[in-house]
Amino acid sequence: MITPQGSLGSWDAKQIVLNMFPLLVVLSIIVLAAGITLEDAEEMLNEYGILAVMVPTMVDMGGNLGAILSSRLSTRFHLGTTELDPRDRVLWENIAAILALALTIFTALAVGAYALGAILGFGLPLSTLLVISLVSGMSVAVIAIIFSFAATYASYRLGIDPDDATIPIVTNVVDVCGMIIFIGVSALVLGL
Amino acid sequence: MTTGDEFWSIYREALPILVIALGGGLFAGLVLEGILESVERFPGLLVMVPVFLATRGNVYGALGGRISSGLHQGLLPPKFERNDRLVNAVLASFVNGIGISIVIGVITWLALLIIGWESAALFEFVGIMFIAGVLTSVVMIVGLLALIFAGYKRGYDPDNLVGPIVTTLGDIFGMVFLLFSIGLVEVMVG
Repeated sequence: MITPQGSLGSWDAKQIVLNMFPLLVVLSIIVLAAGITLEDAEEMLNEYGILAVMVPTMVDMGGNLGAILSSRLSTRFHLGTTELDPRDRVLWENIAAILALALTIFTALAVGAYALGAILGFGLPLSTLLVISLVSGMSVAVIAIIFSFAATYASYRLGIDPDDATIPIVTNVVDVCGMIIFIGVSALVLGL
Repeated sequence: MTTGDEFWSIYREALPILVIALGGGLFAGLVLEGILESVERFPGLLVMVPVFLATRGNVYGALGGRISSGLHQGLLPPKFERNDRLVNAVLASFVNGIGISIVIGVITWLALLIIGWESAALFEFVGIMFIAGVLTSVVMIVGLLALIFAGYKRGYDPDNLVGPIVTTLGDIFGMVFLLFSIGLVEVMVG
């Protein structure tokens, strides 16, 4: 998500479009990789419709977790309270909280998808859905954490406002990873 | 601060937002499952789906961030009116949202051409994206502004509202209008 605090100076429509459109095109080209992965998995999705139901959440949630962590990290960097010291307990609490959120949400995703599948009659066993959701979800969460640290630290060091470009790029790259990992793990678990 | 304070404060703050996003995501997933049936008619259609969804967040997240900062800084009043800043911000989002939708149709077609996969016609991709883009823009912009204004007047921090509103509305309306648009183009091109 782009939240242009830094470039807020202009309220001229033409200037806003000129500032944003090139970035939007770059982001679309990045996410095209997720689209090609999805298209490639069409047969598996047709056979197991419940996987299609999980796709939007799998794609969004990594980005959401990354955005939460990035915005907290960038606030801490700006306040001068973080120097990326591995002994900093609060940093580890941030990471632990993101992982706990991921654990909760991806468990809920599996249970929600299982319930929908049961109602609509195209389900998979809950244990299978839990394995797929948690293995791919927790992997995406770890990737989101690593990318958020790298991007926030880099923008801080280089003096760029992370809201301008780094957060949207991280969010979209993590989205792509989410799609690729989810399709890969699903194929592996279902033995395709 | 005692051990665990930071942990629980993040967890409690973020969980409700993520649960809302999960609900929107599951609904969008049900619509995606319905779209799978149209894939035979328009080969390559699935390539556009994640790109279209991601763009909703990118364009309207930016609008939401701008409006909420404008409210914070007192540059905007929290209501629909012919305010120069509001008109410009909304206009820019329309142009960005509809423009990038057309670009998505084109780059999807190009990507399929380059990797040599079966593909629907360029005008079919662009038509689907254009109609879905226009409909989503209208609903997202009006809905986002209405919710941010209403939340702001009730004392919620708009910064905390923008993310979940955009993700949830974007997933739901993006997929519904995409499904509608696919159906419409299917009827029009016969």
